Amino acid sequence: MTNLTRRTFLGAGTALGTSFVTGGLITGGLSRTAYAQSAEITVTAFGGVWEKAVRDCFVAPFEAKTHDKANVSLGDPAQWLAQVEANPARPPLDVLIMTPDLALSAAKAGLVDDFTVDKLPNLAKIPKELTDSVMGKGTIFDYGVGGITYNKKTVSNPPKSFAEFVDRVSSGEFVASVPSISYAVTPIMLIWAMAKALGGGVDNVDPFFKAMAKMKDNLVFWGSPNDFFNQLSSGEADLGVYFDGRTWNHYDSGATWIDFLNPEEGGALNGVAVQKPKNANPAAWAYLNEILDAGNQAKFAEILNYGVTNTDVVYSDKLKPRVTPWQKTSFPPYEQIAKVRNEWVDRWNREIGR
Amino acid sequence: MKRPALLVLPAALFLLAFFVIPLIDNGMRSFEDGDGGLTLSRYVQLMTDRFYLRVIGETVLLSAGVTVISALIGYPVAYFLVRKAGKWSGFVIFLLIAPLMTSIIMRTFGWQVLFARKGLVNNLLIDQLGLITRPLRVLNTPELVIAALVHVLVPFMVLSISSVLQGVDRRLEESAQMLGAGPFRTFWEVTFPLTLDGIGTGAILVFMIANGSFVTLILLGGGLQTLPLLIYQQFNTTRDFGMASAMSTILLVIAVFCLWLQLRLVRRRGA
Repeated sequence: MTNLTRRTFLGAGTALGTSFVTGGLITGGLSRTAYAQSAEITVTAFGGVWEKAVRDCFVAPFEAKTHDKANVSLGDPAQWLAQVEANPARPPLDVLIMTPDLALSAAKAGLVDDFTVDKLPNLAKIPKELTDSVMGKGTIFDYGVGGITYNKKTVSNPPKSFAEFVDRVSSGEFVASVPSISYAVTPIMLIWAMAKALGGGVDNVDPFFKAMAKMKDNLVFWGSPNDFFNQLSSGEADLGVYFDGRTWNHYDSGATWIDFLNPEEGGALNGVAVQKPKNANPAAWAYLNEILDAGNQAKFAEILNYGVTNTDVVYSDKLKPRVTPWQKTSFPPYEQIAKVRNEWVDRWNREIGR
Repeated sequence: MKRPALLVLPAALFLLAFFVIPLIDNGMRSFEDGDGGLTLSRYVQLMTDRFYLRVIGETVLLSAGVTVISALIGYPVAYFLVRKAGKWSGFVIFLLIAPLMTSIIMRTFGWQVLFARKGLVNNLLIDQLGLITRPLRVLNTPELVIAALVHVLVPFMVLSISSVLQGVDRRLEESAQMLGAGPFRTFWEVTFPLTLDGIGTGAILVFMIANGSFVTLILLGGGLQTLPLLIYQQFNTTRDFGMASAMSTILLVIAVFCLWLQLRLVRRRGA
């Protein structure tokens, strides 16, 4: 009741203001109707090379085949989900790129459509586990591994496992950079992955917090992936927990001093899920089918250096040694992690504090 | 009489749509319990849990520290700008606002290049001058966060003080000196009190901007935990929008309190 009142109040007030200030109420309504008639959809992408890859590998073939138009909205999954939550009856986005935990939130909230082979023929080529991991309301189409990235100039003999990583950083042999708690997937790629590697798991993350306490004098934190690269290139850190694909992108851009290894315990799989909001333009199905296409995914992987999930994809010789098969990663129990994530974040704030 | 009211209508409607209404929505969200009822639990937690009290305290202390340092650095610069710079005043102002002309990301990266463990400063001290043997740990310290914030916010203090200093009647200072006061006493008992309003305005500006600063803190870290960082975390990591709303309301209350202080200062001067 309160929620409805607040939303009604907010919606009416905002509409009133915007209509006066920009004339946007009528224009906005008309343009949305126009999208539906001309099958113009809005899809999502992260910025930088990701955006270019999305345009080249998915938007271009979609537009060529359907003669519909796909606009690309840049941002991040938390923002996109909030946009759909704010207006589920008329979502402003037709295709969502999500982290699996947010994809699960969207699925549980009933905000997204079921993925079936009827609507998406290419879904048949995606391993069932990857679709089941988001309750069948989306699927994982791309993934990276959170492993150990290091500077070859300062780390000639890198730690081969998370356990060795903790021991050698604790002893002061290296300064390590790990993601800060403000980074959305830190609970998965660091807390869960390291806890599991050190003998814990979802129900017991004490080993992780003990390890962080041991390493604290030799740790720095990165808030965004580019921070990590800056820290490594400026010499602030020698190594750290980072993604394989981004590491190879830096390498290909000329930072040939950088290297990556998947720790013996298996780095966490960081999947990227794709979903369609309920009430989104049905033309989005054709776009989603392009995302799941083997040829398009192979091209996407070649640009981003990340693994993709269509089983027909054949990686190039350059990519083969770089991509870790998803079966050799630690597959996170996203649903269980989602239940305890806030407790972990609170504990991090109190014990680690940055 | 009607025409001036019409002139402010677009701005008023803009503020209504994009500031007042979202602000009310934000406030109401902080009281929702998720089941359609109302709750004060978030505010109780924020105001009683020692962790959150420490975060609020750290937010206020950081802003206050940055304000005091900006005033200490800014006053002499403003004095030089108004009284000594002469034809160079335009150049000094350019130097002052130059940091604001570059992206905050680039400025922050600049600090990283300078003070990294193997950055320019440590390389100079270790390899070139041989003054130290182990690199100084400067990055990711509260001191560097404060330095970075002061670097950006000093211009606000200088410009606020100099605009008031420019209006100080020099005859009052001359009268004090004719009555036997030395330069220091003249400054302390005449000039400085007359510029308190500029310091007050600059302090409010600097305090409020520092209070809501986010990018510098998230990039330079420093182990500081402030409300803006936790608000971002509630949105990005935990998706607890109600808690984020409550935190932002408290941040707003701190800002409003500062505005009230400024108004009090101005009224006192007017009286």
